[in-house]
Formats: sequence, C-alpha cells, structure tokens
Amino acid sequence: MTELEQLRRAMRATERPYPEDLDLTVIMRDGRRLRRRRRLAGAGAAALVTVLVAGGVGLGVRWTRPPAPDRPPARVATVPDATPPATSPPTPGPTRWRPPSPQPIGEVVDTGIRYGVDQRVFYLVAVDVPEEPRVRVGLMAGRRSPAGGLTNDMVINDVQGSDRRPGFHEIGYDEATPPDDDRPPVPTFGYFVGPATRIVGTVRGRQVDARLARWSTDPELVIFWFDPVDLTPGVRLDGIVARDAAGRRL
Amino acid sequence: MARGDAEFVEFARSASGRLRHAAFLMTGNHHQAEDAAQTALVRTYASWSRIREEDAYGYARTVLVNHLVDGWRRPIREYPTDNLPEQRRGDVADDVATRRWLLDILGALSPRERAIVVLRYYFDLPEAQVARELGVSLGTVKSTGSRALQKLRATGTPATQGTGR
Repeated sequence: MTELEQLRRAMRATERPYPEDLDLTVIMRDGRRLRRRRRLAGAGAAALVTVLVAGGVGLGVRWTRPPAPDRPPARVATVPDATPPATSPPTPGPTRWRPPSPQPIGEVVDTGIRYGVDQRVFYLVAVDVPEEPRVRVGLMAGRRSPAGGLTNDMVINDVQGSDRRPGFHEIGYDEATPPDDDRPPVPTFGYFVGPATRIVGTVRGRQVDARLARWSTDPELVIFWFDPVDLTPGVRLDGIVARDAAGRRL
Repeated sequence: MARGDAEFVEFARSASGRLRHAAFLMTGNHHQAEDAAQTALVRTYASWSRIREEDAYGYARTVLVNHLVDGWRRPIREYPTDNLPEQRRGDVADDVATRRWLLDILGALSPRERAIVVLRYYFDLPEAQVARELGVSLGTVKSTGSRALQKLRATGTPATQGTGR
C-alpha cells in the first residue's frame, strides 16, 4: 500500500459515527437571517444589518432613514442630515416599496478597482446604534455605476465608544464564501483615525500595504483597503499597523 | 414545511457527518469541527433556493473549507479532553495510533495545505477541482500534494511508529 493510500485510508478510518444531534431549527433560523441580510445589503437598503467582522464580533447598525411606510412620518427635526430631504419621503404604493439607500456623507472614494464598468467605492454613511450616541457614521463598501448610481454592498461601524476615537476601528472582511453571486467580493477595508500615511497588514508572515484615502469631511479619518490582488477578500489579517510620515508607529 | 426546506433537512442530515469529519481533519478539534459544519450548513441554507438544483454538497464543502482556511490561525493539535471516537472495528490501540499519526501529518501542514490534502484525499476530488474550490493554481495543488507526501514519508506510517507515541 502506498503512503497516499495509507493517508486516504487513515482519513476514513478515523471517521466517527456522528450523532444525529444537528439543531436544524437553529441552522435554518440563522440561514434565513443571513439570506435576509444579503438581500438587504444587495438592495442597498436595510433597517437593521448585522455585519460580522474581525474576531467574530457582531456589529449592529441601523442606517438612518425615513420612517417605514406603514407609520406616519416622523418630525423633520429627528431626521439626520444624511437622509434624503424630508420633502421627498418614500411613497408607499400598492406595489413594492423600497427604502432609500443611505446617502454618502462627504465625497465618495474611488479605489480604482473595476468590475466591468462599475467601480469599487467607499463612503461614509450615517448610522444609528442604540445607546451609542457617539457612533454616528459607518464605512460603506459599495459600487458606482457609470451613471453614478451607488449599490451598497457592506457596511462596518463601531458598536461602542466613539467613531472618531484615534486608532483603528472595525475591519470589514467579506465573509461570503463562495462569493455571493449577486456582487463581487469586497476587498478587506476599514478606517483609521489619526495622521497615518502608511498602513501595513500582515498575513501569514507577509506584509501587505493598504491603499489610503482621506475622508473629505474629516481628513483625520483615513479610509484604507487592500487591493484584492494583494490580499484575497475575506482572508483575515494577523496584524495591522499604521505609521506617520516619519515612519513612526501610531 | 415547504418542499425546499424538507429537501434541505434531508441534505443536512446526509451531509453533516462528512462535513464534520473533514472539519475535524483540518482542525484536530471536534468542537470546532461541529461549529464549522454548522456554519457551512447555515450558509448553504441561506443560498438553498439557488444551489439546491446544482451541487449543494460541493457548495457546502467549499464554504466549510474556505471558512476554516481563512479563520484558522493556530497549529493543529489533538485536545487531550476530546473523547476518543467510538470504535467500530479493529484494535483500539491501532486506531488511536492511526489517529495520532494522521493528526501529526496534518499538523505539519499550513491551513491551506491541509485543506488541499483533505479535499484531494478525503473527498477524492481531482486536482483541477481542488484548485477551483480553493481559488489556487493547479501548480499549488500539485506541489502541496507532493510536499504532503514528503512529510508523510518523513513521519512514517502508523505501523512503523507503533502505538507508544
């Protein structure tokens, strides 16, 4: 018997008679939730989206948006700047109502990554995290069509503290494996608050430089992403550091 | 229960054992293997309407393996608190030796190498399909297979190692 044959045989010989203890109720419940989240993200509109990020942390984000169609409009004063004007609320019709997409705050950052004619872009959006008043923005990975239309793919945001705390914030990993048919994989991305001019990730001993762009509204907020050629989307970083113009670690 | 759900239940029951064992071969830990298999089934169910007419098992397998490759950072080891598997046949000492030998071999490989070996030699997939499912080149699959073989030869076989390890 060859060694490989022995390996094959050993893999099968160590199979255990696994008990019939699958909790299919939980599996199907979680599967439905995941499906719903994918649809919401794909449609670019969600009332509640949970994004799993580094370390398995669940992030809850409620994009600020106009009231649901089955409720009376809220007072204008409660609608944040980022939402569409109160003069053009969604009109619930007899057919299908689509909640509006979160609007970019500041300029949309073009990454130079293309999917056919669409561009991969990042932009800040307003978020509303219950009992966390200092978390007001999240970073959205989206796509921009030649006509300028935006499709939201994935949003990350803090769930506690302040969204402007110095240092790294949440990092977005695309967890759709195999890739979602509805959209291309999202490059690993995030933001850093501080005078960073270089951000380097480490994966399996290899250093990967991130691409950087400053947010037009607050230049202290540095948006970064890893080109999919350098870092496969979804692959987790082992470490990440930011350096200033003098090369000092921040 | 909707027809699609009933089909998924049947699928999950028939596929979960192999998915769990594949995950165990990649992690060396039964608890993590169960979690990984569950994650794969959750994601498979989330895409069920799209994949049920296609290769659902292949989809679940790819999700499982990529999930473990991406998430696994620690070296494989056998956890001393793990219960030994129920023995179905053969001598217990031989089976324990085989299991340890297998985990030694797999533990010497990187997560991606381990995934390639499991897909290639546990699921018996052709090299081209392994490359496709992991998003690596055919050359990587070939070289990994040959590296695994070298390590296997260096480690010896359960028979040459005996049970006293």
